[in-house]
Amino acid sequence: MDLFNISLPVAGIEFNVLLLILIGFCVGVLGGFFGVGGGWIVTPALNIFGFHMAFAIGTDLSNIFGQTIGAVKKHQKMGNIDWKLGIISILTSVIGLEIGSEVIIAMEKAGDVGVIVRWCYMLLLACLGAYMLYDYFVIQSRQLNETDLDGNNSENKKNGRTKISEKLHRINIPPMISFPASGIDSVSVWIIFLIFLITGFLSGFLGVGGGFIIMPALIYLIGLPTTVAVGTSLITVLFSGAYGCFTYALKGRVELVAAFIMLLGASIGAQIGSTAVKYVKGYGIRLLFAIMIIFAGCSVGFEQIYKIFQIKFYQTFAEIVLMGTAIFMTFMIIARLLLESRKEKTLKNKSE
Amino acid sequence: MSMKKIITLCLLFFVLSIAYNNSFASSEVGGKQETSLNEKVGTKNLSGVNLWIVELYNNDRFMYAVVVVLVMAALGSIMAFGTDLVLKHFGINVSRISHSE
Repeated sequence: MDLFNISLPVAGIEFNVLLLILIGFCVGVLGGFFGVGGGWIVTPALNIFGFHMAFAIGTDLSNIFGQTIGAVKKHQKMGNIDWKLGIISILTSVIGLEIGSEVIIAMEKAGDVGVIVRWCYMLLLACLGAYMLYDYFVIQSRQLNETDLDGNNSENKKNGRTKISEKLHRINIPPMISFPASGIDSVSVWIIFLIFLITGFLSGFLGVGGGFIIMPALIYLIGLPTTVAVGTSLITVLFSGAYGCFTYALKGRVELVAAFIMLLGASIGAQIGSTAVKYVKGYGIRLLFAIMIIFAGCSVGFEQIYKIFQIKFYQTFAEIVLMGTAIFMTFMIIARLLLESRKEKTLKNKSE
Repeated sequence: MSMKKIITLCLLFFVLSIAYNNSFASSEVGGKQETSLNEKVGTKNLSGVNLWIVELYNNDRFMYAVVVVLVMAALGSIMAFGTDLVLKHFGINVSRISHSE
């Protein structure tokens, strides 16, 4: 494997090219499919394999920026992006993010904030994952079985909206705003602001990019169709990736050669992930996302055990769980894409 | 249309970044902190592109940041275009999809 090792001039280390491309590819597929940046996979992966943490974050953000450009373009082509909502989400999230990071700074003065952040992170992932599974297996299956008097399935089957989002839409505090691209006729601007303020706050507080928080918020709170939530979430990811890429490079914490090589795999992966959205139904995306964040929560849990008891095994296990989940999900998405596209091709040939 | 929006976002980001950079630089006028901005990387045994990258990194960090952003944006777009062509070749093409769940 030494044959594939290259020297990374800025970070001053040697790294395996194939490993960089593989990490990039996996995170590209997941990013394009779920509408997330995937920093929570790449940063620890690069760190495990020898990158200094600051270089791992900076290089990862550069890669996220590059891979998201292609993914955004593809989602735009499929009509999965609500630009109006995306831009509002960026502007409002920035305020929430600032508040979140200020809270962290204030808490740091009182003591070790890392433990609290990890507990909150773990709790958030567990609750979110559990709710998404509950929604998939209980609420939606109940709604899908409900039929109206004419024997048609309920409207919820078509738009997949949750009761929470329906209730939020009914709150009539002017000014009201509509999002035609998302099929939302009228919703209070204040509700939208509040939701993005909270997601931004969580991003700042937990120190994460926010894609995995915004995507479910768009589905379950604002009531976007899953595919539109994926595309719109990528707008925020693109912006934070671009901003992070520039500022980290300015501080000298981006390894350009590594980011370049990783992006070769990531942009291919992002195209595959984005294309797979066409073949997987909205609920299928929600289910896979729920499974992934539950495993990510488990990984944070093992990391927490390591921090408390200082048993190295748990740290290694946390990394294995995270990497294993990423590779497994990538495999699942590609398999689904190949199967469904082959099916589509066969049907097309038959009809001709 | 989508590319126009991406370019608008990129411009917005650049304006914010420059503002951020200026505030970052002005906060260090007192010269109290020697931050990582001043770190240098050795150029021994380097040649070609690697040497150019390191020299840029050492001598002009702002240009280095601009180059990183441009390279990532260009490579991301080119690779996306290329992959799209390959997927089309295999019959995997995308168009506007229905948003029913």
